[in-house]
Order: sequence, then structure tokens, then C-alpha cells
Amino acid sequence: MKIVVCVKAVPDPKEADKIKIDPETKTLMRGDVPFVVNPLDKHAIEAALQLKRKYGAQITILSMGPPAAGNIVKECLALGADQGILLSDRDFGGADAYATAFTLAKGIEKNGEFDLILCGMASSDGATEWVGPQLATFLRIPVVTMVNEIHENADREWLVKTAWEDGYRKVAIRLPAVLSVARELNEPKNLSFSGIIKARKKEITIWSISDLDVSPESVGFKGSPTIVGDFGTLETGRNVEFLEGTAEEKAERLVGILIGSGAIG
Amino acid sequence: MIDFTFSEEQEMFRKAAREFAETEVAKYVPEMEDTSKVPEGLLRALGKAEMLAITIPEIYGGLGLGYTARLIALEEIGRISVATAMMLQVFALGIEPIVKFGTDEQKSKYLPGLATGELLATAAVTEATGGSDPSGIRTSYRKDGDDYIVNGRKCFITNAHVANTLIILAKSEENPKEFCAFIVEKDMEGFKATHVEHKVGFRGCNTGELAFESLRIPKENLLGQEGKGMRVTMSAIGEIGRGGMVGCALGLQAACMEASIKFANERILYGKPIAKLPVIQDKIAEMKIDLEAGRLLGYRAASMQDAGTPSSNEFAAAKYYTTEAAIKAAKVAVDIHGGYGCMEEYAVTRYYRDAAVLGPSAGTSAIMKVIVGRWALS
Amino acid sequence: MENKNQSGAVWVVAELKDKSPHAVSLQLAGKARELANQLGVPVEVVLLGDQVSEAAQVLIASGVDTVYLGESADLKVYQSDVYAEIIVSLAREYKPEIMLLGSTFMGRELAPIVAARLGTGLTAHCIDLVLGEDNVLDQQIPAYGGLISILCPVKRPQMATVAGGVFPTPDPDFSRSGNIVEISVPENMENRARVVEMVKEESDEQPLEDAQFIVAGGIGTGDLDGWHRLQDLSHALNAALGCTRPVVDEGWAELETMIGQSGKMVSPQFYLGSGLSGELQHMVGIKGARMMIAINNDRKSPVFEQVDYGIVEDCKTFIPLLIEQINKVSKDKTL
Repeated sequence: MKIVVCVKAVPDPKEADKIKIDPETKTLMRGDVPFVVNPLDKHAIEAALQLKRKYGAQITILSMGPPAAGNIVKECLALGADQGILLSDRDFGGADAYATAFTLAKGIEKNGEFDLILCGMASSDGATEWVGPQLATFLRIPVVTMVNEIHENADREWLVKTAWEDGYRKVAIRLPAVLSVARELNEPKNLSFSGIIKARKKEITIWSISDLDVSPESVGFKGSPTIVGDFGTLETGRNVEFLEGTAEEKAERLVGILIGSGAIG
Repeated sequence: MIDFTFSEEQEMFRKAAREFAETEVAKYVPEMEDTSKVPEGLLRALGKAEMLAITIPEIYGGLGLGYTARLIALEEIGRISVATAMMLQVFALGIEPIVKFGTDEQKSKYLPGLATGELLATAAVTEATGGSDPSGIRTSYRKDGDDYIVNGRKCFITNAHVANTLIILAKSEENPKEFCAFIVEKDMEGFKATHVEHKVGFRGCNTGELAFESLRIPKENLLGQEGKGMRVTMSAIGEIGRGGMVGCALGLQAACMEASIKFANERILYGKPIAKLPVIQDKIAEMKIDLEAGRLLGYRAASMQDAGTPSSNEFAAAKYYTTEAAIKAAKVAVDIHGGYGCMEEYAVTRYYRDAAVLGPSAGTSAIMKVIVGRWALS
Repeated sequence: MENKNQSGAVWVVAELKDKSPHAVSLQLAGKARELANQLGVPVEVVLLGDQVSEAAQVLIASGVDTVYLGESADLKVYQSDVYAEIIVSLAREYKPEIMLLGSTFMGRELAPIVAARLGTGLTAHCIDLVLGEDNVLDQQIPAYGGLISILCPVKRPQMATVAGGVFPTPDPDFSRSGNIVEISVPENMENRARVVEMVKEESDEQPLEDAQFIVAGGIGTGDLDGWHRLQDLSHALNAALGCTRPVVDEGWAELETMIGQSGKMVSPQFYLGSGLSGELQHMVGIKGARMMIAINNDRKSPVFEQVDYGIVEDCKTFIPLLIEQINKVSKDKTL
């Protein structure tokens, strides 16, 4: 079984509030917030690892990003994936979800046969949720999003479960397919020292635009149907009154306000 | 030109150790503080996360990673729980002598179990009559056929009650200048872990007394050469023991500094966070410098140890520096917290108590200075 | 599709809840009406399902000019391959200028598939849509402490998803007239992701969308223990409990209770945010509250710029105090 896990290097969500947009240049100021593996992608990796343990699958990590994202791919190899591919080129930069999915699809086509593609259902930055479904569409394979249970079987039609409005849905999906996964699917394992040692022997291949069969107009900023326009602030029109005093006094005052306004009976 | 950066792989080890500490160790801290007992789950987690295998050679089931990796792991774990870092570092104290001086039979017998955590180890040298001065110990041995009979008591032994294998130092009944190191197994007849210590800090790390009453030790369990036991144990304590304390201390320094920065950014006085006040910035700057300096001393010694160069002097300097810096950092952290620094919900109170136990462990600051003085004056 | 000045219609891909149009579809129809009036084009809706002509009438009453109605037993529940194929064929034939979908479970899976097949841009979880120069739709999303406009200047249709509750629900006018165009649905369409079961489950927690008082907790709650205290507070206040994304990531609460741009849009009378920083993605989820209160230990926290009452306290220590005070007061009242 050949599995590709699409992974994104994102700024550490725990430090996400340090990232600001420069209102003049409209560019992102990341400061020194480090890159980590997108949290939901870790669930995708864990799902692949479970399939590997059961069926001896081969796992390829695919990521599109700057050269620094290579560390993230290495980390995924240390988690147990077998090999990594980093799509890295200036021309890939500035991509929206569409162009990202398109480029990833080209990378997957170049890599060859596969049975399953897994990815986290959304990235912690961006969070459009579009890349999984669009990747499937470009590869002309089916997709199910928000997967929280996977039931494989011997024929190529697997049963997956996802949350749905007020309940859940079960879908029979034909492989090869894309599954974008939800947090509830599994508990990812931590990095292990022995995994890091084993990763020494694993390969990361870097592909630039000349390695993929694409024109510069179809990828990156040029290949993105959407662009970022103006950046503005949101006014709320509320003026805060701080309650003062000791904590007990504030609690008392707050309860008084709530009773007075009819919030509580 | 000296390269002071960690390799990509070492950064990954740090990430893995930090993740482990935050997700698997942190949850045991309240229990350890409350009960002072070693949680079973924590011991299992340490084994499962391969923390015990770091310095054990690969052929015996270890990771064969060396002492820089060990220091990284201890530093990260110490940042979350110094008690856990201490018990982990002392496990290594009972492992290293077997790796360095064990026969192939002894290594095959003990190291695989020690690597997985199925077996836990410790070293027992200190006694009421000698810790800083190990030659003053009274635990003695005499030969009985091929076996050795040992009598005596050890005190202040970390992991005394959880260890399965213990490296002990005993003095010859015949010749007080001759010592033997033995591998004792906890269910040998005549061995008992007795009194449990209640420490002001490092709670949840087990410390206790050992009693040997006509403890019969087969010759297979003599570690190293007969009569040369001092060398066996001191070489372990010199580098592994001191290096382990450096890990604990660096972790504690980092924790103190992080807590201080967080509090200083959140505490509003005079209309702004106290982090804006020069007096607070001064204190935090000192903590930062001490941490940078301590890291350099520690990692320099560890990289010498990895290269096989004798490093016990460098570790003595690092142990002295980092443990003293941690004691200072803990006090400063409490000061920065003001009244909150005395309230047990604030972790700095634990750091303050933990710092108190750093000094006398694996050699007091005074002894470290004796060693460094000797080094400088020689 | 590349047809910048096609000036086609404003489309909504409607969704059903039971047999009626989903609230978000009605809201989007209302917004589409507004945009279409500005553009001078019709509002058209694609509605797929089984025996749903009544729903089509409600849509027409809500401002829709034409409903492309696909009725078949095969369309009873949403299936990605089938729905996408029908919508894409219709879009290729009728060339809409704009296509809107709800940010629902269906919309979030279907919209990107349709957009990729049509080769056009798609914006997720918009909180406003404004027509700008050259009929380019300014699709506004909150990010990094501000509001960002996303534009799709060239490709068509311009596609966006919007969550329920962002736009108001129009009052239906059943005197309005419109067309229903029946689309033929081929049999045995390719269906590689076949829905086998679609199940509704009962929940006993107060749904956030209906709640009058909402307590929302953020990462500042500290730990699961702190979260349980917050649950106690919401019970004491008879309020529904929502959360921010980091709380979902920590596993303290479910995704369904997340309030914000990519979660639930709510409009309670009273809102109390505890241990959260007032991140825009969350705050845009709360509309029209009469009174908003925040508890945060940092006086400089941006949340205090968006509320009426601020309490600078560590929620870990304050929440139990607050619960105590509420219990004290209600005990006094019952005496």
C-alpha cells in the first residue's frame, strides 16, 4: 500500500498571536515564531502509521514550502514516515489554496502510483479547508473531509465516518482517494529518540519547478485565482468599563450587573 | 572557529524531549508534590519514551546516543520536573559503571533490561560518615570463598526503593585503602531499602537508606577489579553524576526565568506590566546571562565527554555554576512574584524548594570548588 | 472558467434541513438579492434533493428569481461526486458571475471541489461580501487582528462560503414569483464517495445558536480543571458554553462548540469571555449582544477593546469566586 501524507509547515499556533500584518506593506511579520508540523497533519501521519503497522504501507511525506520546511519533513520522517518530498521554489510562493493544491497534485503525479492520500482537514494558519478536496479534484479522485474513523477492507472500497450537522455520516469511498482528517481520528504519538535516529537513513527529495511538469503561470502567486486585497481594522464601538477593587468586590459587582440587566434571574 | 550551534538532529532530540516532558511528565507533578511518592505511570512513561536508553550502547538495546543528547533530555525534563530529571539522571549513575567497567556477561545480563526501564538502577556511595569524603565510608566487605559478604548502611540514596540494581561501594575489612564496587540486586538476601527520606524539594523522587546485613554477593557481581572499586564509582559520579545535576539545574533555571518573564508581563503595577521596570529587567537579565553561561559550561563538558576526553573538571565547574545559578534564579523568581511567590499554586514555590536540594547532590558546591581549585593550581 | 465580464447571475447553491431550505441558504439568498440588484442580474439557486419543490417556493419567496431544481431519489442526501457534477455542468452552461455556498459541512466539502473543477477562486468563511470596482466581489475575512479582503479578479464564478448567522434571514414574500427549471438528473451517475448512512443525534447541551447567555472560554482557562470550573459557571448562569479554537485543539471542548469565523455564529443577549484574547476570528462570531463582558489577566488584552465590562483577573482564581458569589446571591434570594 502506498500512502502520501500532505503536510504543511505552519507558524507554531501556540505563538500565533505574535504574528502581525504590517499595515503598510501588507506582508506577514512572523518574527521568530518557529515552524511546526500543522497540528491536524499529525493526525494524518498517525493514521498512515497505523495503516503501515497493519499492512506494511509505504509512507511518503509531501510538503510545499520554503527550504526551512525541510526540517518539518525530517520531523515527519522521525515520526515514522519512509521518505519525504519537499516542493520548493520561488515560483511556488504566494500560492492560495487552489495553487497549493495544484502544485501538490503535480508532485504526487510525479511521485507515481499511490493508494491513499491523507492530510489534516485544515491548517492552523489559513484554515480554508480547501486543499484536500481540491487536491483530489485535480487528481480526479474522490475525497471525504473531516474523517474521524477509518474502516479499511480488502476490496478497494473503505468505510469512513465523519461528523455531520447534528450527527454523523458514513461514506463508502473508493480508492485511490483523499481523506482529510479531523482531530478525533486518533491520538498522534510524540517524536521519539529512536525515530529520530532511524530518520538518519531516510531520504528527502527536493523538487523545484523544473522537476514538475508545470508552467510558472500555473503555480504560486501567478497561479492563484484569488489575491489578497486591502487590510483593514474592525471597529466594534464598545467602550470598556473596568471593574476595580479586590477580586471579591469585582465578583460581587459583576453579579450585581448581571442581575440588574436581567442576565440572571 | 568553534561552532556553538546544535545540529538539526540535536534540535529534534530537544523537541522530542520537550514534547515528552510537557505531555507525559507534567501531569504527574501535582501528585508528586502531594504524596512525595514516585508514580508508577511516570516510571513506565520514562521507559517507553526511551529516556533510560540514551547512554546504553545499541548492541544492548540502548540508543547509543551519548552525553550531549543526555544533557538535552535532562534539561528539558528538568524544566518541567526537577524531581523527574533527578531520578532519571541517577538511573544513569547506576548504568554507566556497568557500561564502562562491566564484563560482557554483566552487560548482557543487566543493560537490556535497564534500557527498557524494566530494570531501574542507582548508585550508592554516600554514608553518614562520608559523602564528600567517600574514603570515610564504613560499609565493608570480606571474602567468603568466591563470594563477598557486605555489611553496612548507605544514606541519601536517590532511587533507593525503586532500583532493581544498585552499584554499591564497600571498603575492604582487611585494608581500608581497598574498595570494591558491586552490582547488588534488590532481592538478594541481606539487602534492604529501609528509611524513606522526606525532602523539602525534589518531591516524588525517591530518596532513602539502604542496609546491608551479611549481604552475600556472588563473584559474578563484582564490578571492575577487586580493590579498585573507588575508581569505578568515582568515574561515574565525576562525569555522569555532575553532568546529570547540570541538566537538572539548567532545567530549573529555564523554568524560573520563564515563570518570571510570564509573571512580569502580566502583573500590572503603576499602570504597566512590571516587565517595563528597570529593576525587574535587571533581575531577568542576570537570570538570562546565568542560563547562557551555564549552558555553555554544561554542553562544553558534555561534548568533551562524547569525544572521550576526560571531563570531570569541566563538569565540576559546570555543576557548581549551574546549581548555584539555579538557587539564585529560584530566589529571584520568588522575589519577582512578590506575595504570590509564597503561594503554593505558583510553581516558583516548588522551584525554590527544589533548588535547595540541588547543592548537596552529586557533590556539594564546596567540594566542586576543591576540585576546580586543584585543577587551576595544578 | 475565464469570462470576466460575463455578467451572469448571482448563484446560491442551496442546502436543505429536513425538507426546508437551510437557514444559511435563505440568508445567502437575501444577500444574493442585494448583490444582484447592484449588478442588475437575477438571483438563481441550485437546489438538489428528493421531492423538494416546496423548498424551492420558499427560496423564491426569499428573493430568488430562478431555481434550478434537480429532483431524484439519488439526490436525497448530499454526495460529493454527484452534486459536484450537476453543479459544475449547470455552471458551465449558465455561467454565473458569483456563486455562494453556506459554510456548512456540505458547503465546506462541495465548494472546493466545484471551484477546482471550474478553475476558479474560492474564499472560506467570509463575514461580509461587498461589490467593488468592476463588479469584483470584496470577500472579507478576519485575520491577524484585522479584516482582509480577498478578491478573485479574473476567474469566474467568484465563489465564497459564508457561515449561517452572518447575514440576516430575509422575510419571505410569498407573493413573489419566480421560475423553477427542472434539471434532468441522469441515472447511475458516478459516485465514488457513496453515503451509506446519514444519522442525526440528540444532544442535551443547549445549542449555542439559540442561547441568550453565552460563556466562552479560551486558552487562558489553563487546563481541563479550569475548563470544568467554566462549565460550572455556565451552569450557574444558565448559559451555553462555547470556546475558541485553541480550546478545541487542547481537547477540552468539541469543535461543534467553537464560536467564530470557522465555527458557530451566535447572537446572544449576553456574552462572557474568559481567558481569551479577543482574537478577531472568535469575536466576529458574536453578533449584536446587548452586553459583553471579558475576564483576562492582561489589562492590555485586545479583548477589552471589544466589550462593555472588563475584569482584569486570572480566570483560574476568579471563576470560582464568581461561582461562589452567584450561588450566594441565589441562596439569599430563595431564603
